[in-house]
Amino acid sequence: MQFPKVTLERPRWTPFNIVAAIIVVVGLVITGIRFTQGLAATTRLSDYNPWGIWIGFDLLVGVALAAGGYVTSAACYLFGLKRFHTAVRPAILTGFLGYALVVLALHYDVGRPWRLPYPFLVQQGTTSLLFEVAACVALYLTVLFIEWTPAAFEWLGLKRARNLVVRLTLVLTIFGVVLSTLHQSSLGALFLIAPSKLHPLWYSPYLALFFFVSSIVAGLSMVIFEGALAHRYFHHKMDETHRREADGVALGFAKAASWVLAGYFVLKLVGVAQADAWHHLASGYGAWFLLEVVGFVLLPCFFFAVGAREKNLRIVRFTAAWAVLGIVINRFNVGLIAFNYHLPAEERYFPHWMEIGISLFIVTIGILAYKFIVRHMPILYAHPDYEPH
Amino acid sequence: MGEGVHSLHEFMLRTESITYILIAAALCGFVFFWRFLSERDEDRDYLGADRPGGEEEGQGGAHH
Repeated sequence: MQFPKVTLERPRWTPFNIVAAIIVVVGLVITGIRFTQGLAATTRLSDYNPWGIWIGFDLLVGVALAAGGYVTSAACYLFGLKRFHTAVRPAILTGFLGYALVVLALHYDVGRPWRLPYPFLVQQGTTSLLFEVAACVALYLTVLFIEWTPAAFEWLGLKRARNLVVRLTLVLTIFGVVLSTLHQSSLGALFLIAPSKLHPLWYSPYLALFFFVSSIVAGLSMVIFEGALAHRYFHHKMDETHRREADGVALGFAKAASWVLAGYFVLKLVGVAQADAWHHLASGYGAWFLLEVVGFVLLPCFFFAVGAREKNLRIVRFTAAWAVLGIVINRFNVGLIAFNYHLPAEERYFPHWMEIGISLFIVTIGILAYKFIVRHMPILYAHPDYEPH
Repeated sequence: MGEGVHSLHEFMLRTESITYILIAAALCGFVFFWRFLSERDEDRDYLGADRPGGEEEGQGGAHH
């Protein structure tokens, strides 16, 4: 059987390529400034606001949106939902790139990035949640890399290496789920040490649970959203099986997402009830909280349910983008907007344009890497020389 | 917050009571939500799971 090779003449200077090139060049310049002149020259971080968007967006949002890897592989290999098999490789790839870029972003944010391995090599801060997050992210990035390698090995023609890694699929999936459960929740638990800094509507002893449950929604929504984009821009790279199963993946995941969102909505209400924070709902922050919980949790829950029930892919795909935006807003709220809410306006954090530039740079690198890998490796189609695993 | 809350006991009684009512209401609501979500599924499968002989109802077992 012949390897399905599609060669299309593509214009080199498309609008996307021009914008991406500008962002990459500006990002490289800012990178130079960041690593020669330090954080003060490129950020508005301070003692009051030591975590900016490189943590609030690049790390908190990045880790949540990369959850599609463990959600999809668990659905397929642990729960036996083999109809979702074609979604596993794209989800693993997105997860791997997401975590790799989280670690890259950390190099910008940490004052002395060359000390990132210190918690493992020099001094283990085993009582710190950050140590647990660091250990889990490092291990899970390794797991995602190994889970992604079969596609690369198939591309390179390394059959024995590919078959060896494929035999580890179940072990890697279990390991990935355990590590994700630990660090997705621990990222929320990080804020438990700051009960006076985080607004009572967002602060809750259940923060760890909120982060973990919402990461499942983020993972499911991202797989649907990314699948819709792949369908639009890489349709020619998809084989018949991927095209046929794509609708079933979107509808199945929409059903699961609506169910998880319903549970998440109830958990958020329980959080408010346990803190007896109902009176805060009548404030400005209360209106913003209601917008998040009703507008970006309850409504997506309802529309996912309608989309799955009516088998309406347009509703499902639109709602997936909506839910992804909801996760971004939630992580921004916990990490930035509702954090340090009591500070006067002049002390509040607003990112420097270079911080935004680096975040755009990192997202752009991710998109370019995704494009390169999907174009060259069997992600959206099964390699004809290998049995699906 | 209620004006009648003066002690930790009263606070716990209030917050736990509301939480229990919320949970009970949510559990009842979930039943109706699940029915809304899945009542149009032809084979009522769980999240679209593969079932042995799922497409050939009544014949039993997987067919290859």
